[in-house]
Amino acid sequence: MIRHLFKLIWNRKKSNFLLISEIFFCFLVLFAVLSLVVYNVRNYSKPLGFDYDNVWLLTARADIDSTELRIAVEEQLTQKIRSYGEVEGTALVSSNSPFAFSQMKVWAKVGDGPRILAENLDVEDTFAEVMQLNVSAGRWFTKQDDAARYNPVVINRVLQQELFGDESAIGKLITRDDSSQVQVIGVVDHYRGSSEYAEESPVIFTRINQQREAVFWGEILIRVKPGTGIAFEERMVKDLSGIAKNWTLELTTVEKMRQNKEKLSMVPMIAMAVVCGFLIFNVALGLFGVLWYNISRRNGEIGLRRALGASANQVYRQFIGEVLVLATFGLVLGVAFAIQFPMLQVFEVESMVYFIALGIAVGLIYLLAIGCAFYPSRQAAAIHPAMALHEE
Amino acid sequence: MLKNYLKIAWKVLLRRKFFTFISLFGISFTLMVLMVATALYDHAFGPQMPEKDLDRILFVNMMQERKDGGYQMSGPPSYTFLDRKVRTLTTPEMVSINSIFQTVNSYIDNRKLALDIKFTDSEFWQILDFEFVEGGPFGPQEVRNAQRVAVINEATRQNYFGNTTAVGKTIVADQVSYTVVGVVKDVPVLRLHSYADMWVPLSLRTEDYSSTSLRGEYFATIKAHSSSDIDNIKNEFAVILQDVERQHPEKGTKLYSYPDSIVEGFARTFLGNDDDTGMAKLYAILAAAVLLFMLLPAINLVNINISRIMERSSEIGVRKAFGATSSTIIGQFIIENIFLTLLGGLLGFLLSAGVLWLINDSGVIVYADLGLNLRVFALGLFFCLVFGLVSGVYPAYKMSRLHTVAALKGGNQ
Repeated sequence: MIRHLFKLIWNRKKSNFLLISEIFFCFLVLFAVLSLVVYNVRNYSKPLGFDYDNVWLLTARADIDSTELRIAVEEQLTQKIRSYGEVEGTALVSSNSPFAFSQMKVWAKVGDGPRILAENLDVEDTFAEVMQLNVSAGRWFTKQDDAARYNPVVINRVLQQELFGDESAIGKLITRDDSSQVQVIGVVDHYRGSSEYAEESPVIFTRINQQREAVFWGEILIRVKPGTGIAFEERMVKDLSGIAKNWTLELTTVEKMRQNKEKLSMVPMIAMAVVCGFLIFNVALGLFGVLWYNISRRNGEIGLRRALGASANQVYRQFIGEVLVLATFGLVLGVAFAIQFPMLQVFEVESMVYFIALGIAVGLIYLLAIGCAFYPSRQAAAIHPAMALHEE
Repeated sequence: MLKNYLKIAWKVLLRRKFFTFISLFGISFTLMVLMVATALYDHAFGPQMPEKDLDRILFVNMMQERKDGGYQMSGPPSYTFLDRKVRTLTTPEMVSINSIFQTVNSYIDNRKLALDIKFTDSEFWQILDFEFVEGGPFGPQEVRNAQRVAVINEATRQNYFGNTTAVGKTIVADQVSYTVVGVVKDVPVLRLHSYADMWVPLSLRTEDYSSTSLRGEYFATIKAHSSSDIDNIKNEFAVILQDVERQHPEKGTKLYSYPDSIVEGFARTFLGNDDDTGMAKLYAILAAAVLLFMLLPAINLVNINISRIMERSSEIGVRKAFGATSSTIIGQFIIENIFLTLLGGLLGFLLSAGVLWLINDSGVIVYADLGLNLRVFALGLFFCLVFGLVSGVYPAYKMSRLHTVAALKGGNQ
């Protein structure tokens, strides 16, 4: 039966060429859009590793050149913020704080091993508390690290895997940017600070040690009590402006930054999905029209088959089968093309993402083909043999 | 005769409503998506308030320092560099230095307004064509005296003052009071070099004027005497930059900075590499995207058209039997096809206008003012016509050459 169907389609390959190429391109478009969607959804469903509710970010831009003075003012700002009852804690952080647009990459390497590019965050001891990080192995920074011989760092699981494999990383040394050596004292399971839709990438948390090297950071994360609102924010900013005269102070919530990042991922995805949806709908209509016409032209053939004893159901199954075979021709071409992406690793994306997208795309195309063939085939099957033969 | 053809065409369209719907839907929606995409492109890169004379304006927005050992730092250039090296260029007509915008907070009636503030000089207002709703820009006098004056946009006026005039009133941002001297129409945020909610004199910023660093937080906007001068400016800039590179305190540091148009700046950021702007790559990607997008509807249109014509083979046969020549039959189909395409084009036009209005109205894009690009619309319509004619008229032509009897029987033999 199936061989017969293939033969039928093959014999009319010239007239079916356009339909097959339509299915082929339709599949490619679906595959591309689904890959993007699957990639984003998979990342979104993984844990972030921190909690951003009720966390604010204060960015201070100084108007003085002297670093000592800047640091002194920053110290005053921090103390003022901590003195409020509404504030649970603060932490200095480098400009690549959670959901910020800036990045700071460093090369990390162990001994003569491979160099890994990792995101470097400079954070104060209180960062773990403010962002509610979960240290799964070793420990987070404490006051006792002030006197440590090597600068202590905490890394995430991904970086540990890439640098040390399955071995424990605690106490080991990492060479950063080919110059300074730092010591791993803890590992966090997850930290995806760049975006909810981004893959987890290697991260190093470096301890801010103002005693050893005084730096003006300019960014302060503030955890406030739940329900703290705009009235407190205004009061605090007013007070802080009194301390840092002529400075530019910008206060925003990490939630707001997350929304900005989300927009950046969602807008292209939604735009592509809408365009893709329109294309598919267009193709579905076209396919439906052409199938309808093609099938209605074969009235004579159907009448003959019915007269020779084929049941309506058999006729119906034949037409659905033909359309499925047609779709298969297009899909074989399409899959042969699409499979190159995971095989050649065109983009650095897990192969699993492509395979899932491929599976869904194939399923959708078959559904589309059946959906479009359903009504015309039913009509064909319902033809009375006498009528059909009479028409001929 | 023409009237007859149009009448037939209309009747044919009505007879097979479903096929008509598919064709019209395909044409109009393809045109619509194409129109929205070009409107977005124009919104980002085309001439638009306030950057109208785009072929005469260049922007310097990046300074990259590359040290020995592959260590590189990049960011906007510093005030010192722009003031000493770019403002002194001899080829441009005018140079403006303005800061990148920063967000500051303003509180009013227990609400927070996050305002994007930009520090500019007075040349800024001469180079760019802002549309003032009331008042006017601040001049060299105000900038020299570092007066606390501000130009705000319409949205800020609405949010801060409500439905009244704002000129002469005071607006407090980041705990500093400014007197409003002018209100301008909203500038889209994609116009990075001019966008802000509030513009204030550059001299109000006191920081880093003395710093010798090459990187800072400023842009330069350069206006050329004429569009043919653009290359001269780029060359002069390159010479000056080499000079700066030689005088760099750290030997072996390479500097990369260019005066770019908007599209060049965008292409360089994402696709560029050293002296290559990445424009070729950008255009290749755009062309490929448009081609891929048009391909499916085109195949679909061809497919549907062929089916339609096949269906009418007996009609062609009858007409031939009564003595119609090939050219008459083809003439009829050409007119029918043009009629259908134009109908789809009209629908597409209305649809795109509606969708653009919706986007503008919904505020998905901040301060968007998207408009139809008629040139691209005409081009899209032209392609629809070509595909329509190729797919609709060629089979008709083939059939009109058939033997009358064969055509009468369905034309498949």
